[in-house]
Amino acid sequence: MAFKSISTVVARCLSSLERSLGLDRSVPQANLRLVADGLAGALAIGLVATTPVAAQEKPSSLGLGVFTFTSGPAAAYGMPGKNAADLMIDEINAKGGIEGVPVKATYVDEAQGAQGVIAEYRRLAGDAQNQVMIAALSSATCLALAPLAEQLEVPTVGWNCDTHQLLIDGKSKYVFRPNGNTVPEFIAYAIYLLERKPDVKTVAIINPDYAFGHDAAKIFTAALKALKPDVEIVAELYPKLGSPNYQTEISRLTTAHPDVVFSNFWGADLENFVRQATPRGLFTSSQVVLALGETVLQRVPLPDGVIVGVLGDGWWMSPDAKVNQETVKFAEAYKARFGEYPVFPAIKMANTLIYVKAAYKAAMQKNGGKWPSRADLADAMKGSTVATLTGTVRTRADNDGLVDQIVGVTVKTPTQQFPVIGDMVRYKGDSLMPQGGQDPLAWISTLKPEFSKSLPKPGSYK
Amino acid sequence: MSNAIIPLLLDSLASAALIFFAAVGLTLVFSVLRVLNVAHGSLYSIGGYVAASVCLFITSRQLNPYLSFAALLFSAVFVAAIFGPLIERSLVRWTYGKSEAVQILITFGLFLMLEDLQRMIFGVQSFYEDTPMRLLGTMTIGGVVYLNYQILLIGMALLVVIGLRLLINHTRLGRLITAVVTDREMAQSIGIDTNRIFILAFSLGVFLAALGGALATPTSGIAPGLGADTMVLAFAVAAIGGLGQIEGAAVASLIVGVARVLAIYLVPSLDAVAPYAAMLVVLLIRPYGLFGSVTARRI
Repeated sequence: MAFKSISTVVARCLSSLERSLGLDRSVPQANLRLVADGLAGALAIGLVATTPVAAQEKPSSLGLGVFTFTSGPAAAYGMPGKNAADLMIDEINAKGGIEGVPVKATYVDEAQGAQGVIAEYRRLAGDAQNQVMIAALSSATCLALAPLAEQLEVPTVGWNCDTHQLLIDGKSKYVFRPNGNTVPEFIAYAIYLLERKPDVKTVAIINPDYAFGHDAAKIFTAALKALKPDVEIVAELYPKLGSPNYQTEISRLTTAHPDVVFSNFWGADLENFVRQATPRGLFTSSQVVLALGETVLQRVPLPDGVIVGVLGDGWWMSPDAKVNQETVKFAEAYKARFGEYPVFPAIKMANTLIYVKAAYKAAMQKNGGKWPSRADLADAMKGSTVATLTGTVRTRADNDGLVDQIVGVTVKTPTQQFPVIGDMVRYKGDSLMPQGGQDPLAWISTLKPEFSKSLPKPGSYK
Repeated sequence: MSNAIIPLLLDSLASAALIFFAAVGLTLVFSVLRVLNVAHGSLYSIGGYVAASVCLFITSRQLNPYLSFAALLFSAVFVAAIFGPLIERSLVRWTYGKSEAVQILITFGLFLMLEDLQRMIFGVQSFYEDTPMRLLGTMTIGGVVYLNYQILLIGMALLVVIGLRLLINHTRLGRLITAVVTDREMAQSIGIDTNRIFILAFSLGVFLAALGGALATPTSGIAPGLGADTMVLAFAVAAIGGLGQIEGAAVASLIVGVARVLAIYLVPSLDAVAPYAAMLVVLLIRPYGLFGSVTARRI
């Protein structure tokens, strides 16, 4: 216990020192920052190695560091994740915990920025009881934490982490993403759009101004150009993340007269955009594609025919989910506790916890029933295949996940008061992913218009 | 591009109107109290939250929806009546005559408290209430559908400029304010209750901030972080127009609005920097802003 306390204190001190010095990789103190990182890493590794983390006895509780946005505009996406984690952990603990060990989550708000998140990660990693980090939502946070996870040798499972850049080098040992990423997610939209609207000529894009928005635009555009070379991008707008007002952008999009408006807005940004664009006729003058549209179906009256999806397979009303009793139970429990059905970020979080639980089970089986170390746990995740609430996630050798992609359009249904997804397609996860280590954009550019012929058609997923 | 000239013009005016509401209260408070109120942005977002809450109440109780227009004004009055005297008497008055650094630190502390207060009361989810906007409908101009509410906002901004000028030049209160602005000690020596003027002027500034937030609500979302964004933009506008200049704020809002809209139409990647680039250009040419002037520091 003394070692545990010391390691925690040291990690905290170094984090505080780093924060107080205002160290950042983008400023001239970068070298000093690297020294601090190195010292923290060395000390944490050294101390952690001598603490009960390496022991094979079951701990009194299993700590999880859960990173998400609990404040700021991004909380509209992050809070469903936290809610789902709360619910799942309660259910896991009600059944005796993971392999008999109760789970205890510590939540970290990503809204504090990379420096604060890194400090919190280091503090949590210094506590041997925190064996796994569920981190994180934002691609920027995931990219910032990935080197730290490798350095401190802490299994870190990206519950969202969409950026394709996360595992691109294929060398990660401790970072896992049991989800899709920007490549299959946005190729899926390009294919669905062209299947549904083959005569599309002009496209306008409005995405948030950070890595996720720009990456999505690049991938969606590259896929469109590869599959239909005569498509022209007539406007590309990147408003600041968290903008409250899009009236000028809506005018600009309207004056470009695009056949299609594509957006990967999310959270409050998406709600605001939909609420402002609807009365101004954007949804009637153009085919709108909202890549994260499912997250607002219960909150905003989206018109019929908007192409929406769930970035993965995590829709609680998908045909696969409906026949899974666990999913139905989870969705009803979520609705009863939080007042609305789980949107796909909530399902992503729930699936991630199922993934971690499965990894413990596999690691203990491999260990002959002994409690696994962090390294054992990471080994168990590699190459695993896990049944989730909404499908299956396979982990490749490069630790990236293969998850199916569901895309459809908004339709009304007599069974719900809000629009749901209809005319769906479910693309196999591996069919839209390049091989590990392959440059995604280079791979997309090799796609031919015939590529989509072998894929399922809109309406085929019933 | 020629077919975009009318939309460009209208968007510039609509954008300028919203920016003006965010900045005019800040500039008014500075002109009278000589205090740069960093918490101004929070008062703007509180106005928005209160307006959205009252409008949601009206909708949920199925009251006459046109009451939501009155609710926008009522919310601003309510916020000003509560926060204006409270903040001025408890915090701001201690900063009179102190250095700008002290004023900024104190109002920055207030800003942080108000931001947390909003999170505690209204949560972290985005607020949106668009009843007034829906009631007014839309019109098509230059091939683009505009909200009539946007046009109303342009008119409201003009009304506020004219109203403030009339208040300052043609009312007793305005003359008292002018006297205090011109020479605080002299005003006191001839019997003007400067404390009362300060409370009234600060509350008027809070009212304008809250009115800005309330009027923006039907066409914008209100979420945590809005206060900080508003504050930065309001500073830029105040700096361009000249701190303490009401007409300056109006002209500066127009410049910033045009710069932003031109950027979105022509060079979207410069959207975020356009207001500050405009500020930089103006301050390089006129360091005290368009309507500002050099004043000698009195010892």
